[in-house]
Amino acid sequence: MDPNHLARLRHTELQHLTRRHFLSKCSTGLGAMWLASTAGRAWGASTVLKKDPANPLAPAWPQFSPKVKRVIYLHMSGAPSQHELFDYKPELQKLNGKDCPKEFLEGKQFAFIQGVPKMLGPQFDFKQHGQSGAWVSDRLPHFSSVVDDVCFIKSMHTDQFNHAPAQLLLHTGSQNLGAPSIGAWATYGLGSENQNLPGFIVLTSGGNNPDAGKSIWGSGYLPSVFQGVQCRSKGEPVLYLNDPPGISQNLRRRSLDTLDRLNQQISADVGDPETVTRIAQYEMAFRMQMHATDAFDLKQESQATHTLYGTQPGKESFANNCLLARRLAERGVRYIQLFHAGWDSHGASAKEALNQGFSERCREVDQPMTALLKDLKQRGLLEDTLVVWGGEFGRTPMQENRGGSEMAFIGRDHNPGGFTLWMAGGGVKRGVSYGETDPIGYEAVKDKVSAHDLHATMLHLMGFDHEKLTYSSQGVPQRLTNITKPGSQIVKGILS
Amino acid sequence: MKEPSITQGIERCLNTIPAIWVAAISFANFISAEERVDFNRDVRPILTKHCTACHGGVKEAGNISFIYRDKALGMGKSGEYPIVPGKPAESDMLRRLRSSDPDEVMPKPKHGPPLPAAEIALIERWIRQGAEWQDHWSFIKPVNVPNVKISDETWPSVPLDRFVLQRLDQEHLRPSPEASPAEWLRRVTFDLTGLPPTAEDLATDLAAFEKNPSTARAAVLDRLLASPRFGERWAVMWLDLARYSDTYGFEKDPHRDIWPFRDWVIRAFNADLPYDRFTIEQLAGDLLPNATADQRLATAFHRNTQTNTEGGTDDEEFRVAAVIDRTQTTWTTWQATTFGCVQCHSHPYDPIDHDEFYKFTAFFDSTADYDQDDDYPRMKIAADPGSMDEVSALEIQTREHRVRLNDDGKALAESSPDWTVLVPETLTPSHGKLVMAADGTIRSEGTLPVGSVHKVSAPARNFSAIRLDILPDHADPKKWPERGSLVTRFTAQITDASGVVTPVAMKEVFVDRLSEPVEPHPTGNVGGFPKLDGPRWAVFVPEKPIVAESAARLEVSLAQDSKTAGDQATPVRNFTILLSNNPAWTALVNDPQRAATWKSREEMAARLKAIPGTLVPVMVERPARETRVFARGNRLSKEHVVSPGVPKLLANGAPEVGMTRLDMARWIASPENPLTARVMVNRLWGELFGIGIVETAEDFGTSGTLPSHPELLDHLAVRFIDQHRWSIKSMLREMVLSATYRQTHRASKELIEKDPSNRLLARGPRTRLSAEMVRDQALSVAGLLSPKMHGPPVYPPQPAGIWNSIYSGRKWLESTGEDRFRRGVYTYQKRTSGYPGFLTFDAPSRDLCSARRIASNTPLQALVTLNDPAHIEAAQGFAKRMQAHSPDLAAQLSFGIMLCTQQLASPTMLGELMKLHAEATAEYENSPSETSKLADSPAAAALVLTANTILNLDSALTR
Repeated sequence: MDPNHLARLRHTELQHLTRRHFLSKCSTGLGAMWLASTAGRAWGASTVLKKDPANPLAPAWPQFSPKVKRVIYLHMSGAPSQHELFDYKPELQKLNGKDCPKEFLEGKQFAFIQGVPKMLGPQFDFKQHGQSGAWVSDRLPHFSSVVDDVCFIKSMHTDQFNHAPAQLLLHTGSQNLGAPSIGAWATYGLGSENQNLPGFIVLTSGGNNPDAGKSIWGSGYLPSVFQGVQCRSKGEPVLYLNDPPGISQNLRRRSLDTLDRLNQQISADVGDPETVTRIAQYEMAFRMQMHATDAFDLKQESQATHTLYGTQPGKESFANNCLLARRLAERGVRYIQLFHAGWDSHGASAKEALNQGFSERCREVDQPMTALLKDLKQRGLLEDTLVVWGGEFGRTPMQENRGGSEMAFIGRDHNPGGFTLWMAGGGVKRGVSYGETDPIGYEAVKDKVSAHDLHATMLHLMGFDHEKLTYSSQGVPQRLTNITKPGSQIVKGILS
Repeated sequence: MKEPSITQGIERCLNTIPAIWVAAISFANFISAEERVDFNRDVRPILTKHCTACHGGVKEAGNISFIYRDKALGMGKSGEYPIVPGKPAESDMLRRLRSSDPDEVMPKPKHGPPLPAAEIALIERWIRQGAEWQDHWSFIKPVNVPNVKISDETWPSVPLDRFVLQRLDQEHLRPSPEASPAEWLRRVTFDLTGLPPTAEDLATDLAAFEKNPSTARAAVLDRLLASPRFGERWAVMWLDLARYSDTYGFEKDPHRDIWPFRDWVIRAFNADLPYDRFTIEQLAGDLLPNATADQRLATAFHRNTQTNTEGGTDDEEFRVAAVIDRTQTTWTTWQATTFGCVQCHSHPYDPIDHDEFYKFTAFFDSTADYDQDDDYPRMKIAADPGSMDEVSALEIQTREHRVRLNDDGKALAESSPDWTVLVPETLTPSHGKLVMAADGTIRSEGTLPVGSVHKVSAPARNFSAIRLDILPDHADPKKWPERGSLVTRFTAQITDASGVVTPVAMKEVFVDRLSEPVEPHPTGNVGGFPKLDGPRWAVFVPEKPIVAESAARLEVSLAQDSKTAGDQATPVRNFTILLSNNPAWTALVNDPQRAATWKSREEMAARLKAIPGTLVPVMVERPARETRVFARGNRLSKEHVVSPGVPKLLANGAPEVGMTRLDMARWIASPENPLTARVMVNRLWGELFGIGIVETAEDFGTSGTLPSHPELLDHLAVRFIDQHRWSIKSMLREMVLSATYRQTHRASKELIEKDPSNRLLARGPRTRLSAEMVRDQALSVAGLLSPKMHGPPVYPPQPAGIWNSIYSGRKWLESTGEDRFRRGVYTYQKRTSGYPGFLTFDAPSRDLCSARRIASNTPLQALVTLNDPAHIEAAQGFAKRMQAHSPDLAAQLSFGIMLCTQQLASPTMLGELMKLHAEATAEYENSPSETSKLADSPAAAALVLTANTILNLDSALTR
């Protein structure tokens, strides 16, 4: 939005500030009624979204009736192998150990493979599961039990074969830095249902931040209030959330009361509308201290829940983050982005070996992600939540031969041509598999889905026409489904 | 049915159209019937809003474009003319705008609602008046409008005030009263130095104001503009544009030593380097005649692009990404023109075409950097500033010597007539297969990992030099560059009939050009690295000619041990070996003069090596590359070759061919360039007033916002060049002395209502402190701020676990001593993980050029200033200073308020703070353990809390 326009709006909107804050604190009851009555108003005939400048994260109504209210995105950074999890190819098994046929190498760019590598069959046993008969390898015994709630997309593809650009493309629609992430777009479009927590929360596990760094949850050219806030499952959940040592909550409240009165006085004296906004923001910060602390307190959960997820409070783990995701979803956070690192299974070390590090990653995610789906379902949250799982690209059906030689561990190179992603939740078919790769799981060939198609679909589920959720930057109405890459399609085949 | 009244009609009209048009309509109504329609002011905004998406630079639906005059006035595909000057009735555009036929009407119903009648009427009037076309305002050179009539000749302090008052007169507004000296002092001290006034300065200045305000102001400005703090504050603005960072970016985001460039910017602002020189030195300082070390260092501006060290990356991909970033950054920084979209297609709004993008990138396409892990090429910045120029001169001379030494052989290689192809009899590859074609070209097939060796053997002949041609896989230059192709070890040996092997020791090697990050050597390192951008050759010359005995064999071996930063092998796929027996080779390598040059070069290199310093990436030219247009912006589909040049639209007589990067820099820094001065004065204005005269400081094109005061902007631009001779300090001095700037920021409800964001300037600016200022102020009032300037970045405290970059062992090692309390500009800037307190206050990540920070106001900011241990540490220092000031609490708090806001504490304010202090003291008295975490007594701990509260006052966070 044009910030000047923001400022112009600010004044009139301020008159409603008190009422709005009261209303936005409660997402049910009165607040919801009021919201329903304003539904669609922000849009009208125009494609320009009008935001309340004093409260840009106030809940907003999308362009049409949404299927989901929130998103939980489980990103497996490093790119897990589709050949060892979901994309079962008996043909590949037959080719195991043979030289890779020439036609698979021509015109291809690899990160590490050189010359003629050997084909590598699936390293683990596959079975069909559930009513839907979904193929899942033996690495995910828990997940196998919920496949009937899941929609697999086996024909994902990208044009980036390095981690950082591929992650950027997947989360921002552009392989270059500077574009807003989908979570930023979602909070820009929808605001948040909880003003006492950030609207877009990021949780990481696996030891490292994702390759592309904080830019993949950045706000790019959108105003910075829409950027993801990285929270931690260990220590303070939000940076600087806790009162500093020596300042009790009681004293903090007292000092904020003083601050409030002094700032009111300054406001009356100077007349700057920003002062009024600042007063409100300090109050929100205080509420965030309580609400975020509460939201991140896993000790409140029952033993049964801990057993379900395999959580250990106080530890940084994917399991803890999954349980936190559910708690944040319950509290109305709009976009919850998890990253679990360590999937880059090249085979250059034990950590990167399919039979070692990769299998450990599977163990780390299998139970928690299954628990998350079950838990959301039993609480009635799955029907208006979208859960997405996947990496930034796939892996080659060939064994990696870094430097043209055999390697000590078994691994696969990066493969932008095809990979598997799954979704579950509102508006998405259950127990289906969409799209296909070729007989060796190398290239998506049927019903191909790009990152932009995925974005168009996710925005559609949130109630937006991806061509009409725009923001003017660099002189053009920019959008998540990159204007430089036209032709993004909603994946209609997966919509329920 | 009764006819609705006119008022009802208008009301209905207003209710059904989006609010955003209301302004445009009332503006349109403002133009009286007789008044001439101004294309840029009145018509172009309508076209840009409603028409150019389909009839623009990208799409020219129906062969109509409203960007180029000839295409707007020419015949459309339909056979009709959209615009016929002077003849509205014949202008098809008007017919379509008013049509009710869904197939005819413009805009098409699916693209947007019909235009408001008032806008159509305006277009009609413009056509009737002759449809006079103008270039976009910012592409026309600014002129100063003399004799501006104003209502009050006593108000202006400097000429710019006349333009502000003229506008206020039009709006029937009066300027606000002058700010109190204290209000102006806070504002101007922050604006010029990024810090609050010290208590001592404030006292002196206020006393001086009582005597003579105008002398007092002059003295304050003399002090502030001479303060070393000036450069530190303004550098931050520039470093956002320069995307300065202490790391490379991307996945591993490793450390980069480029802080000497940050120090260059600080020094340049402090020395008031005129903006034209400031510009030329950063864009092309390396190409200036007898470039100094400082001028070369300035070019690090464009080495702040990201380098990708991630495994498996293609160095050409990220070299090109850097070149494109340099192009866009140059255009955003100096020309406020969105150039990025022209990478893929012609500009959607402005008359810049696709080829012109690549013509401009060509200026940056001939530098030697190649996305290398070591950031090659770098210059050494001597640790001792006194040695800087000596080091730089040594670097340049050693390089020049090297080029000269090579050029002698290059000339000979090209003129030598007797090169004959060596046709080997046996081919022995270590990997894959070697296949020889009829012309003696040898091609390798199969996998070639790092360490591959090609050996060939043939009957020996007499020779004085061996030439190795390394050839690309593709004959078509559009497919270049290819994967690298480098011989790391070149060996030749003679085996005689009895099997005795004699290695041929090479004395020298000559190459077609010295353009690689690897240095050719008589033992190898020849070819293309990290990429092969066409056929390459190298000539190896032994000390004495080789005389071959009969039945002897010549064996040549090419080892390929290198790999790129992205772990790609760089094997030789195609090559030919040739021999020459020209005695000139032997004469050349044994020339005593040549030996002396080699010796002197080695001595210089040794001297250079011995001087301690920091290696900093800078721009270094290499022999030019062929720059080609990328089809739809895709570097993998190249089209025709273009030569360096600037867009015709702005050329102003710049030559069409033969321009260098230095010429381009001079073209930007020329007084004739319509954008350069405007963009810079707008930026300075925006820093002072919170918002530029053109709000979109990054976009002066048709899609940007129009200036709020066009004549003011032009006046400032002309003055910046003519009166101030590009002096930033002098320009700023005039701005902060203006009556406009000196108004109070106190505003009535009515004024806020009429002009909430102060675009009309009927009051003084009130803006939030920047990220760095928030921190620097806290340290300053706490008495902790270190005045130490320059040097490597520092690591003030930040929460544990913030730095978790993948594949990086680097740790945030908290600085100790005064480095903990340095100004924000010296804080370590990591791209993938910025300093959290700064990011929260809208500091950019510095991934890309950022032309302005838009101040947000969020709860996360409150958490930083309330709870960040660094801010608590500052509150403790601040409390101690208050305590030291007086034993009396009221006096302590008054002093604190004055230190932090330069205001006198009102009795109510003082009362509130004393009450807080009393209540907090009571609580701390009951909890000694809490007390001890902050101070040594309950009253002192309560004062820390009170200090923390003062630092969070709205008037402490604004200026």
